[in-house]
Amino acid sequence: MFERYFCEGSEDKPKIDFNPHKNIFEITGNSFPEESSKFFIPLIQWLEVYTLNPNEQTHLIFRLDYFNSLSGKFIYEILFTLQKVLQTGKKINISWYFNADDTFIEEKGEEFKSAIEIPFELVQIQ
Amino acid sequence: MDINTTYWFYDRIKTDNLCLLYNGVISDEITNKLIELSDYNINNVEGLSKMKKKASFLMAECFQNIIRHGEMINDLEKNKNNSFFLTRNWDDIYCIASGNLVVKKNIRKIEDQLKVVNSLNKDELRDLYLHVLEHHEISGKGGAGLGLIEMARKSGQKLQYTFEDFDKYMSYFYNQILLQSEDSIKESHTTHAPISDAIIFHKKMKEENILVVQKGDFAQESILPVLKIVDNNLKSVFKSSSSKKKVFHIIVELLQNISKHGFKNQKMSEGIILLGKSESTYIINAGNFIENNKVEELKNHLQDLNKLSIENLKEFYFSKLKERYDPEKRGAGIGLIDIARRTSEPLVFNFEKIDNDKSFFTIHIVV
Repeated sequence: MFERYFCEGSEDKPKIDFNPHKNIFEITGNSFPEESSKFFIPLIQWLEVYTLNPNEQTHLIFRLDYFNSLSGKFIYEILFTLQKVLQTGKKINISWYFNADDTFIEEKGEEFKSAIEIPFELVQIQ
Repeated sequence: MDINTTYWFYDRIKTDNLCLLYNGVISDEITNKLIELSDYNINNVEGLSKMKKKASFLMAECFQNIIRHGEMINDLEKNKNNSFFLTRNWDDIYCIASGNLVVKKNIRKIEDQLKVVNSLNKDELRDLYLHVLEHHEISGKGGAGLGLIEMARKSGQKLQYTFEDFDKYMSYFYNQILLQSEDSIKESHTTHAPISDAIIFHKKMKEENILVVQKGDFAQESILPVLKIVDNNLKSVFKSSSSKKKVFHIIVELLQNISKHGFKNQKMSEGIILLGKSESTYIINAGNFIENNKVEELKNHLQDLNKLSIENLKEFYFSKLKERYDPEKRGAGIGLIDIARRTSEPLVFNFEKIDNDKSFFTIHIVV
């Protein structure tokens, strides 16, 4: 099976753990890197290959605290790339976590939900 | 604070490589971040990095003075009346100043200590230091005298100080030290940034409710500590984490815009950012140089954004979000669209042509 994609998070970069073997796909933390394209493009290229032969069920989890507008654009690219899974007949869904009083992350989640076709649930953390 | 405030400050610090002004409550957390930011600033100035330890030490002493004196003033007063902190760098000089309220009846004692400290040479200062260590003298309040002696010893210069009336019972106590590499000590530097500058800056910041002014290079590494200070400050200003995040977001976008699109001077993207608040809103001003050939495009983009309704802005945002990423265009203005969606008033902006290459761009945002 396909290699794991892992990136340790930092103050301005999210932790990314995409592990097809364990069926874990998670993006966590803050995202406002200096070079967004350098940070996200390798991940998107990885996803291009993954979507050729994805797991039976891919469950992508977002636990973001903050991201800048350019990261938002790349999150859209990630979701757009993952839409290809739908064409393979395999299953994919997304959980977008947000804190109860955090309308910033909640609204961003709603926007992505309306912009793509993958089943997308917003999950409130108490 | 309006759009002109940016230039008011910029004009007074334009020959500084770096300038950080802070008007607010000084807590341990803020102290650490301010030192972290100054460390970064110092590292970036040739010939100054040797002084980094000294500078951090002197700053820590300043903060301890502020906190120690602050303890003598009751909490209600403390919250109303912000302390002041400043670091500036020009040439190979590093300037550190602070201002805080002291009870008037203590002024005599502080002044006496300062006079003693300023009258002594290097060896005498060392002797006094050892004497005070042993006998706990010259100060009633836990070693405040020691701090002043150490500041004089480490900087190798006379301490500059002044008192400004606040009310019947209290005065602001300002002190300032200049650090410079030992081979270049010149008297003239005190005229470049007299301690009266600190008072003028603090007064303006109090009048216009400005929390932070930072001028310098806005590379990612230097914006991270700025953002921490802002984040800390926002926590005390806002009850809801949503409005806090909204403001934080706009600041990130503005700083990164300056870093990416600003006029590069020796690879540095120089800019100035001001954060202020009024009763229910938060105000962000930014200013930076941009190349003249980028002015038209940016101006048109901003004018267009101001014409759009919230609904149209949303549509515009989605169209940019869905555009495939183009390395040439990067975000294609999505950052400013996102800002425009979150402001409570139209964006106010101005372009001032400086010379054939560059203009000074200022923007004023009310959230």
